[in-house]
Amino acid sequence: MDRSQAGFDQNFSGAADDLPSLLRRKGLLGPAAVGPMSQNPTQQSVWQPTEATTILAFKFSGGVLVAGDRRATAGNTVVYDRADKVLEIDRHSIMAIAGVPATAWEMARVLEHSLQYFRRTQLQEMSVDGKVRALSKLLRDNFGFVMQGVGVVVPIFATYDGKSKPEARLYFYDAMGAQFEATDYAATGSGSPAVRGILYYENTWGAKPLHKMNEQEAVSLALRALDTAAESDTATAGVDRSGTIYPVIKIVSREGINTLPESKIAAVFKEMVA
Amino acid sequence: MIEEPYRWVEAIANRREYIEGQLAPGSPISAVGYREGILFLTLGQTRQKLFEIYDRIAMGAIGHPGDIERLRMAAIELASTEGFTRSAADVSLRRLAHYSLSPVMKSAFEQIYGPPYLARMLFAEVGARPEDDLFLRVEYDGEIASNGATYARARQDFAVLSGTYQSVELMEAFLKSEHKPDASFETAVNSALDAWSVGHMVLQESEAKELPPRDAIAQHRREQLAIAAIEAAVLERDGSRPIRYRSLADKELRSIVSQ
Repeated sequence: MDRSQAGFDQNFSGAADDLPSLLRRKGLLGPAAVGPMSQNPTQQSVWQPTEATTILAFKFSGGVLVAGDRRATAGNTVVYDRADKVLEIDRHSIMAIAGVPATAWEMARVLEHSLQYFRRTQLQEMSVDGKVRALSKLLRDNFGFVMQGVGVVVPIFATYDGKSKPEARLYFYDAMGAQFEATDYAATGSGSPAVRGILYYENTWGAKPLHKMNEQEAVSLALRALDTAAESDTATAGVDRSGTIYPVIKIVSREGINTLPESKIAAVFKEMVA
Repeated sequence: MIEEPYRWVEAIANRREYIEGQLAPGSPISAVGYREGILFLTLGQTRQKLFEIYDRIAMGAIGHPGDIERLRMAAIELASTEGFTRSAADVSLRRLAHYSLSPVMKSAFEQIYGPPYLARMLFAEVGARPEDDLFLRVEYDGEIASNGATYARARQDFAVLSGTYQSVELMEAFLKSEHKPDASFETAVNSALDAWSVGHMVLQESEAKELPPRDAIAQHRREQLAIAAIEAAVLERDGSRPIRYRSLADKELRSIVSQ
């Protein structure tokens, strides 16, 4: 008996498909392009990673702070100055993205829907390791496009693990999908070398290590770091003093995700940075 | 044999009788709309009966666990693909039930050489205002009952699911007289629990034609609460978060259940 007329195809493998493979089965998501395309040697081009942005995250006393500037660029043109690259995936997880916006936002959307789909079908939250792997798999599926020179994404993933060991967890990735757990901080994007330097310096020789900072100190450090990155990196906006456009700052903690209101960021900026 | 129309009608009637018999012991589920959302409530120990389908849609079901699971997965798949390709706002319970679930259940029921779905489901979708809440009961034969107004009856802010029609009818009669759409959460929990008790009593005493007296309901409820766990979930009306479904633990509810 055919019950497939309304999309009722069931697999009896015991485990449900994950959302990306369900979407692929229904033709709603492009195929996973894992292998690099064979390239014509005469057209061989040097792979230029373009991750024009600055994203940073570090653990402080109140959880994990994730901050990103607002600039979106195409080559050396600024196309948008209010881009949001710090995206909420679920109540306790943030994916912050550096890379090609079209791919990155789509990836975040697939991840968000995948985690919800998992919770609804399996009747439990996905574990932190499962979430981290799910993002890794999306990056790996995308690697074929990266090798063709389009669609590189290098994200940071911050979450709060309420189960096995209640604590904030922070991960960064490479473009192929390898995941690394950061103990203190992570940064990605074209402005990240400067930021990494600042965070290392502060953590090692600053007045106090990052994990002992309070919220006010953490926010001011994030703003200073982004401002420093913007000083030398044209693809990073830092803080737009005239247009009063501030970076997006979100904090992940046991209680969930707190998006800092612009007024609060502005107050810290005026007092500690400007 | 089955090709003769009369035989087919007879086979369908037998099948209906068989399914009704299988569903009859199912523990009732009450769903009531209140000021801040929709509450689903049932009592039981054995297996989960309330499920999250999508951001604003929940489901309660009785029947065979295998069939419930297949229907639940189908509903989640359909809602998730719609929500992913368009947006969460485009996922509609009305379409899900009328367009996708009902035709499939109807044809499974009527193709008498194949297995029917042994399940009865209650869906709710929370709206921006209490008058936008939608409740749909989907039967094993694809029949759908909604909470909308008909020529015979005003719109209802509640819906129930139970093993027999008699139990459903009396639960509805009870909620019709006891439940107010702008009730507080606490009131909603207590009337849902009373409605459950009514439904459960009627299941055990199949001759019941009228609502049991108040003290009998209260006593039955006390007895059942002492031995069974409360399973409950809410769909919150508050639009500040996209996902409105939240399951409630037995512990959270015990303190507001009036003794």
